[in-house]
Amino acid sequence: MTEIFTIALIFSTIRTATPLLLAALGGLYSERAGVINIALEGLMLAGAFTAAAVTHYAGSPWAGLLAGIGAGVLVAAIHAVACIRFNADQVVSGTAINILMTGVPAMLSGALFLSSGSTPQIPRDDLIPWTPVVLALLLVGVTWYVLYRTPFGLRLRAVGENPEAADAAGVNVNGVRYSAVLLSGALAAIGGAYLSIGQSSLFTRNMTSGRGFIALAALIFGKWRPVQTMLACLLFGFTEAISIQMQGVFKPWGEEIPVQFISIVPYVLTIVVLAGFIGLSRAPRALGIPYQKEK
Amino acid sequence: MKFNRPKLPALLLCLAALACSSSCTGAKNEADDPARVRVGIVFDIGGKDDRSFNAAAFEGVKRAERELGVVLRDVEPGNPTSIEPAMRAFAERGYDLVIGVGFAQAPIMEIVAKDYPHINFAIVDGVSQLPNVASLVFKEHQGSYLVGMIAARTTKTGKLGFVGGMDIPLIHRFATGYEEGAKAVNPNISVYRNFVGVTDSAWNNPGKGKELALSQIGKGADVIFTAAGNSGLGAFDAVEQAGKGADGRATHYVIGVDSNQNMVKPGYVLTSMVKRVDNAVYDIVNDVKNKRFQGGVHVFGLDKDGVAFSLDQYNQSLIDPSILQEVEAARQKIIKGEIQVTDAMAK
Repeated sequence: MTEIFTIALIFSTIRTATPLLLAALGGLYSERAGVINIALEGLMLAGAFTAAAVTHYAGSPWAGLLAGIGAGVLVAAIHAVACIRFNADQVVSGTAINILMTGVPAMLSGALFLSSGSTPQIPRDDLIPWTPVVLALLLVGVTWYVLYRTPFGLRLRAVGENPEAADAAGVNVNGVRYSAVLLSGALAAIGGAYLSIGQSSLFTRNMTSGRGFIALAALIFGKWRPVQTMLACLLFGFTEAISIQMQGVFKPWGEEIPVQFISIVPYVLTIVVLAGFIGLSRAPRALGIPYQKEK
Repeated sequence: MKFNRPKLPALLLCLAALACSSSCTGAKNEADDPARVRVGIVFDIGGKDDRSFNAAAFEGVKRAERELGVVLRDVEPGNPTSIEPAMRAFAERGYDLVIGVGFAQAPIMEIVAKDYPHINFAIVDGVSQLPNVASLVFKEHQGSYLVGMIAARTTKTGKLGFVGGMDIPLIHRFATGYEEGAKAVNPNISVYRNFVGVTDSAWNNPGKGKELALSQIGKGADVIFTAAGNSGLGAFDAVEQAGKGADGRATHYVIGVDSNQNMVKPGYVLTSMVKRVDNAVYDIVNDVKNKRFQGGVHVFGLDKDGVAFSLDQYNQSLIDPSILQEVEAARQKIIKGEIQVTDAMAK
């Protein structure tokens, strides 16, 4: 057991949780404002690809990170316009963006790098392995402060709970929702950028491998609250890290446990914790409902 | 702000039509030319620029296109469900050869090839009994045995790592050969075997590949063999992160797979277990062109250089000549059958 529980496990947990946390915080802004954001996966991919491509050309990960954020905001704007301006079904729009983002990076990498979905590798000196990690943890505090201690946060929550009342009080409901969705694009994109220019050194097709959906689960798990969401992400990160450490080492009966079983550890733990300890997770009341001003 | 709604879809349609008119038409005429041999290839989920397995297959068909003048079309399925329609599309248009890349396509090709008995099919890494399917399989365990020997002679800690992609029997063939080769040199060596996952996304997750490699490094492994497509590139990042020692040599090494990956991170890549998918694919296209295509199982082992380890300007200084002699001796013995390497898939 001492081989499994090491300092390395803690670092591995934090690294694994970072992209989840950034995406989940992004989702938190959007969903607390009442817009379902199932598009986190696609937003992460947009950020990951753009960050890697721009870092390759500019030779600077900071330019890459900024461009990645820009791409995330741009793609989130599609979701925002579809959901807020045109009252589209928010789940459908989000799904469309996820599908779109499996294709667009592949197409662009074909045009830019004559490849079909991956960027050239970025030299190690141009990577930012720790900045997004620190940023993610800082952003938990910032999000908590914004949400509960600023007028914007109050409006955001009001718009997600009772848009009619917020409107009556003079809040620009759709304005707040736009900024919330765009913010979620920016944050999810940082999470994606961490994958391509922080943890790894290139973008490959669908490299998020479902992390956007895990982030969404963590958000629900964390009851749409920043600190709880962080704890949920850390739990997911921890279970993933421990499954990595356990593989090939944990031999309770002298036999190795099949990888299939170790791979389900995070999910089983999630179900156990969800069912046993968390209780009812209540969504923002206006989540998924487009707001139309009464004429 | 008044926005005229119907305009947006119309605009998108126009854009799509424009994009198509510039790229599709030219290609179509060429592909319809009945005088030329037409080859369609369907890649694995990893995609043709995984710098590894699919890249090798792509290299082979590109060479065939250049040297044999065949018409080449390729499809990269975004998910496993689009493999079958892609194969059928090629067969339906009467292509002369349809190549499927990867074990996952074998059962699909079995169904499609049955429906088109007059079309030639080839499957890489899979086996079919149909007369119109050529099964191109490799003795990965033999090549892995040799790189296992090199790893065992290189390690200072006596601990090796193996990062596999998806946990399937084929990848266990790499792992078992590697471990046997290493233990032939030093029976006390231990090998950590890890897999990225159990679904096809395991080929495209370099983040997790890196975490697995880092955990192996944490446990003392200093040579890591990858067989994980794009995910394996994460292990390259991990050994690079471990850095170089006072003597200017890397403290940890990675061994590449399928394609020659020595140049991916020069100085950190001990060697690559190359699987000459390119040659196998090229040869089968050549057979079709010369009308001597034969179905059945085509096996590529050490004897035909179907599997080998790479040695070039990037890793010459990393492997001692005495190791090379020892490995060459083992290679001869395997070819002669004096050394039997366990085939994990035969069990």
